[in-house]
Amino acid sequence: MLATVLTSLVRGLEARPVEVQVDISSGVAGFFLVGLASGSVREAKERARAAIRNSGLRFPQRRLTVNLAPAELRKDGSGLDLAIAVGICLAALGLKAPGDAAFLGELSLDGTLRHVDGVLVAARGLPGQGVTDLVVPACDAAEAALGEAIRVLPAPNLASVVSHLRGEAPLAPYAGSLPEAQSPAPELDLAEIHGQEAARRALEVAAAGGHHLLMWGPPGAGKTMLARCLPGLLPPLTLAEALEVAEVRSVLGELPPGCPLDWRRPFRAPHHSMSLAGLVGGGSGMARPGEISRAGHGVLFLDELAEFEPATVQALRQPLEQGRVFLTRSAGSVAFPARFQLVAATNPCPCGWSGDGRRACRCTRAALETYRRALSGPLLDRVDLQVNVPRTPLEALGGEPSGESSSTVRERVLAARSLQLKRQGMLNASLRAAHLRCWAPLRPAARRGLERWATEAALTARGFHRAWRVARTLADLEAAAEVEERHVMEALGYRLAEHAG
Amino acid sequence: MAVVGARRPTPYGEAVAERLATDLAAAGVVVVSGLALGVDAAAHEGALIGGGCTVAVLGSGVDVIYPAANAGLARRLLDAGGAILSQFPDGTVPRAANFPRRNWIIAALADLVVVVEAAEGSGALITADAALHLGKQVMAVPGSVFSALSVGCHQLLRDGAGLVQNARDVLADLSSPGEVLDDPLAAPERFRIAEPADGSRDPLLRHLDDSLPGDPGVLARKLGLPFGDLIARLTRLELEGRVVRRGAGYVKVHGRGTSREESE
Ligand SMILES: [Zn+2]
Repeated sequence: MLATVLTSLVRGLEARPVEVQVDISSGVAGFFLVGLASGSVREAKERARAAIRNSGLRFPQRRLTVNLAPAELRKDGSGLDLAIAVGICLAALGLKAPGDAAFLGELSLDGTLRHVDGVLVAARGLPGQGVTDLVVPACDAAEAALGEAIRVLPAPNLASVVSHLRGEAPLAPYAGSLPEAQSPAPELDLAEIHGQEAARRALEVAAAGGHHLLMWGPPGAGKTMLARCLPGLLPPLTLAEALEVAEVRSVLGELPPGCPLDWRRPFRAPHHSMSLAGLVGGGSGMARPGEISRAGHGVLFLDELAEFEPATVQALRQPLEQGRVFLTRSAGSVAFPARFQLVAATNPCPCGWSGDGRRACRCTRAALETYRRALSGPLLDRVDLQVNVPRTPLEALGGEPSGESSSTVRERVLAARSLQLKRQGMLNASLRAAHLRCWAPLRPAARRGLERWATEAALTARGFHRAWRVARTLADLEAAAEVEERHVMEALGYRLAEHAG
Repeated sequence: MAVVGARRPTPYGEAVAERLATDLAAAGVVVVSGLALGVDAAAHEGALIGGGCTVAVLGSGVDVIYPAANAGLARRLLDAGGAILSQFPDGTVPRAANFPRRNWIIAALADLVVVVEAAEGSGALITADAALHLGKQVMAVPGSVFSALSVGCHQLLRDGAGLVQNARDVLADLSSPGEVLDDPLAAPERFRIAEPADGSRDPLLRHLDDSLPGDPGVLARKLGLPFGDLIARLTRLELEGRVVRRGAGYVKVHGRGTSREESE
């Protein structure tokens, strides 16, 4: 007797179909599992045997061969349990499995189905492979149902799946509907920030053009609070974006059951002691997404940038360029999306007082050199906006008026972003030199100003284009068709002061 | 109302004169001064910013604008509906002896004279003296005790002149019910420090110090300018070599392109 049951493995954010072929033949009783199964999958044998017996079903006392195809794909995790057990039961009963249904779930010894990671990825990927029905543990149904193109059949245990396949008690399809799009209230509102005009303006411009931002200021200036305001200035996630965010969390097993879709833009703030694998993704065996993928469509905040390992910072460069990260592991290589907006913060010097004016910097010249070299890597070439964030004097905290609220600023941001998307199909931060000539024409005075600055301040080509991109965003915030001289001048103001020494 | 004072004021004096004239002009007061450098020019500029009309009284013929550096200001003053007056016939050159006589005319035209920074024995004190002789009110703006330019004003205050802290003090004395701001540091909503269109010196420079870095955020709030506009103007001044960045702030650079060095 041969039965073939479909299931799936997740590689990166892709669902790879896996066929579980079960053959029962006469001969010495035994249970053989073949097809590049890792340790965790070989344990499935024991779980399947116990679950079948404890569900009141018969476990065949004959020669049992289970093959997992394709053979070259390394099998990992406990999500194949259900498909293996279903295959054994069907083969024993002499039944065929439906060719358009896939089965996902981990078995406990009593036959109950348990959560598996990555159900959403399977639910979204399998319809493209001809699968129409997906049987999942009941606790994963809401997550699976986000993949709209598939019929989700939640099952409490193995016995219910087998009765469904025998036509005795069909499983009821999951009836929940897709959650409505929401504009969640910002976690932190700009109205709560006192003073800090430079950073407020920089956040607005960063949000409007998708520019990466570096804040430079002493400890206690409020850089973290400011960074936390950025998600609230961005438009709410689109459905596609929210689903991609959910997929990353699904792979990590971090989706809350019941309400899997979160419309808030992610905000991740990894500590500088975090490992390279934790930041960009990796780990032993199958690579898992890192902080840069968790921050997808949201904000990655790196506080104390100079304290991060140089190798870690360098590893951000490729994802920043491509919006994806490629990870190669012994178990194969995968890609994860990593389309995030970077906000970095740093002290002006190791002691924190350089340029403050109220207290002298006590750093040695050599320490300053090392510190600044750590910050002048090619990563910062991708950071269009660089602003100083001074410490707000304590006595001014109460007295300084707080400015506009996040919702007011967001209206301008949304208008500017829609202009960009209509004009060029991307945000200004993605514009290359050739794009700029086409979509960011400079008025004669603006060109003269930019060129004069480039000559006198020895601006690099990259610095030149950074200012040009930012000027384009400033013009978009005013709905100006062409870039005026004042836009260029303001853009040039958002770079760091040249440092003596 | 007349606003008079030193030809080489401190940045403080220049800023006070401009701001006072701005608020007074906005409240409908005509500002009279002498079109000299320093406080006089700041007073005329301020009145123009406030959208008011301002009168310049010269120590030369009306066809001889002195100092030449203020020719642009004179033109804008006339364009804004102001007047340039002189008791001297056309073609009269500015002689030192003319100025005390001119100061009497200023005092005579005004209901009230405000002195902003005056060294001992300076022309502004002659105007104040004339005003007292003519039965006009005299008021003075206090200054730093470290500055020689405060001596004249502080002497006037000691002698009973009214103390001016903001435009409201002046309007109370003029008993004119105008709308002004109590707080000289609060941002004026109705007017902005205009940017010069003709490439002349940006009045923003007056609000920067040459040693203590000015925080652009604080400056924008004080002047009621959008932060982006302020940064654009500061960057322009940086490009012209008039200011430099220091940490998060900006300081003024001296000795390049200022017209302060002209003789009086
Ligand atoms: Zn230091």
